[in-house]
Amino acid sequence: MTAEKKTDQISCRKGGRLRGRSFRLLAGTAALLTVSLSCPQGGAIRVSAAPASGQTEKSEDKVTLRIANWEEYIDEGDWDEEEAIDLDDREGTVILGENSMVEDFEEWYLETYGVEVEVEYSTFGTNEDLYNQLTLGNEFDLVCPSEYMFMKLIAEERLQPLSEEFFDIENEQNYYVRGVSDYIRNIFDTNTINGEPWSRYAAGYMWGTTGIVYNPEEISGEDASHWSILADPRYKGQVTIKDNVRDSYFAALGILHEEELLQPDFINSADRLERIADLMNRTDADTVSAAEEILKQMKENAYSFESDSGKADMVTGKVLANYQWSGDAVYTLDQAEIDDYYLAYAVPEECTNVWFDGWVMLRDGVGGDGAKQQAAEAFINFMSRPDNVVRNMYYIGYTSVVAGGDSDIIYAYADWCYGAEEDAQDTIEYPVGFFFSGDSSDPDYVITAEADQAYRQLYAQYPTQDVLERAVVMQYFDQENNQRINQMWVNVRCFNLASLTGQDWAKIGACAVVLAAAAVIFRKRDDIFRRRDR
Amino acid sequence: MRNIRFSRKQLCIPYALFLFCFVILPLAVIVYYAFTDGSGRFTLANLVSFFTNGNTIGTLCYSLVIAAVVTAVCLLVAYPAAYVLARSGLRRGPVILMLFILPMWINFTLRITALKEILTVLEGNLSLHPFLNTVIAMTYDYLPFMILPLYTTLLQLDESLLEAAADLGAGPAAVFLRVTLPLSMPGVVSGIMMTFLPAMTNYVILDMMYNSTYIMGSLIGSYFNIYDWNNGSMISLILFAVICIVTLITGRGEQNNAENRGAVL
Repeated sequence: MTAEKKTDQISCRKGGRLRGRSFRLLAGTAALLTVSLSCPQGGAIRVSAAPASGQTEKSEDKVTLRIANWEEYIDEGDWDEEEAIDLDDREGTVILGENSMVEDFEEWYLETYGVEVEVEYSTFGTNEDLYNQLTLGNEFDLVCPSEYMFMKLIAEERLQPLSEEFFDIENEQNYYVRGVSDYIRNIFDTNTINGEPWSRYAAGYMWGTTGIVYNPEEISGEDASHWSILADPRYKGQVTIKDNVRDSYFAALGILHEEELLQPDFINSADRLERIADLMNRTDADTVSAAEEILKQMKENAYSFESDSGKADMVTGKVLANYQWSGDAVYTLDQAEIDDYYLAYAVPEECTNVWFDGWVMLRDGVGGDGAKQQAAEAFINFMSRPDNVVRNMYYIGYTSVVAGGDSDIIYAYADWCYGAEEDAQDTIEYPVGFFFSGDSSDPDYVITAEADQAYRQLYAQYPTQDVLERAVVMQYFDQENNQRINQMWVNVRCFNLASLTGQDWAKIGACAVVLAAAAVIFRKRDDIFRRRDR
Repeated sequence: MRNIRFSRKQLCIPYALFLFCFVILPLAVIVYYAFTDGSGRFTLANLVSFFTNGNTIGTLCYSLVIAAVVTAVCLLVAYPAAYVLARSGLRRGPVILMLFILPMWINFTLRITALKEILTVLEGNLSLHPFLNTVIAMTYDYLPFMILPLYTTLLQLDESLLEAAADLGAGPAAVFLRVTLPLSMPGVVSGIMMTFLPAMTNYVILDMMYNSTYIMGSLIGSYFNIYDWNNGSMISLILFAVICIVTLITGRGEQNNAENRGAVL
């Protein structure tokens, strides 16, 4: 979601294949039904190969689709046989990524739409990288930036709206609109920029919250559940902060408004979410300068600002708490688990930032080219097909915005990941209906998990309803406000001569005198030593 | 056919092309951005804002201090080592030199990561001494660049000059200060340039050592991150100017000895 976020993820992707979990499937799987894998309802799909909506004219022309995505943010296939995921859904689906998702898409598109498509797939490291590439004239058709970046692109009128066909819920191939979680759909419909809802331009891919990964043996869950832990002198040199202005600013505002955000009146108010969003998106001069003070305090107190090293430092025990995105939190917890080191994830009680990465089409790329737009939208749908969602989630370790619609594969996958063993002693009933069916009390979507999953990976991947009731989107700020925040960030990070005290200046003066004396002695060395030698 | 003769001058063409495309052109782009505003009009505002902003000036000073301290430490560590290796006729001199150079064969991020672990063991918590850690890491990284030129110049030192000085009554200290040191100045200058300049700009090491104060490199990066290419370019240009000045100053004393310039530079 923010500048350096995905630079982090780069290093984790491979490990993101959650090797820690694979032991379960070794025990569980007897026969590997690799045949049915890549396409669980395969028959059905292939039969309906004729395009349902009729927007395709049979064309021999090859369509070239230029896609840019985060590094290692898609299943690249090539799984080992024993990595096959044997799901406990209605159809007993087995998931195994043989080929890369992109190759599978090309094949599927030819079969389904009768058109050959060639995907030129490239990757980027940060949202800003992508934006700079677009500005410098690199052309893409479909890209996957975080929400603040696609808001910026919408505001600059650089995006192509999704077609009406894309939202046709009757079309079997429209996996996105049929499968996306109601919670996410609602956010994409109600968040607007320049009066236009996100959903007109953007289809979600992955999502999550922000919170604190912590070592429960050293830090109480209570302490970790407040933004103030990041500036807490008791943990001096023990916490890491994100090295990007948006995330750090959000945390600083969480500390700044802590008292108000935790008041019972505030928490129980009917419009709590709107009020949080309002507080956390303030960028007036007073708020920004108050945040600057808090961030300076955080800088003094923290182990480091990090964009890459936080996960490793957490796993190796160098720090006790770490400001993290939920997706990376899952990865961190998995990694630590391999060494029998158990960490936990907390979402601050004040509020959290819910973030998204989403697919958007560029006007420069697809504008006016119907065949291209159709291929781009088909790609989004292919990525949202439940079995493919599972492949990507397994490979990346993040949480897809797709709940599955009619298919129960994705829920089965969540259950496969986190469901407790039959003989497990200490279990809880963890409701995930809020995401899967829009109703937290839905008895169909309750995972029986080991008790500590309530504050571990499951909690990070599928937050409980009370978390989502304090999860707000951080808006894209306009030029003027953005400038103010960025200036504040530079002030925090730079060494300013004005910060030197009289004592410091005295020390500097002393050093200068010593250096000058040394220089003089060196110049006069001939005289000095001649005398002594005689 | 005859007029397509191959002359020696034409061997330079690939390099000239390279120079033009990847040195001159980018520099021209930087200059263009540095002296224009967001809408492409000429302005000096970027220059003025650099020198009136406490943050940018402070960052420049901080970078200079880091670079100066690192260079001084490198010189103090490297000179005695190079002197011993080159002058004392150790039979295994080259092997020991190799030990100094060896780390350069390993990727530096790997080396710094290893250093981080060692320092963590020694200090307990890396965040307590960010400046010290930065200096240690940079010294570690740049030491070979200081030792190599010093070693080569000291190796070429004419033994007879030292003997002559001693015969004429100079004690060991005088021989060192009046003969060895002046004659090794070309190596010292090369060494200083090869450590000071990268130490001024390398912010990756700072990042890896958890020093959260910006130096020039990270400041430039932060401006480009917020799409402020104009101010970012101006800072790059000023950094470039600072480096030019440093090079001129250190190079000036060396013009007389130009032909002696160490084999490395």
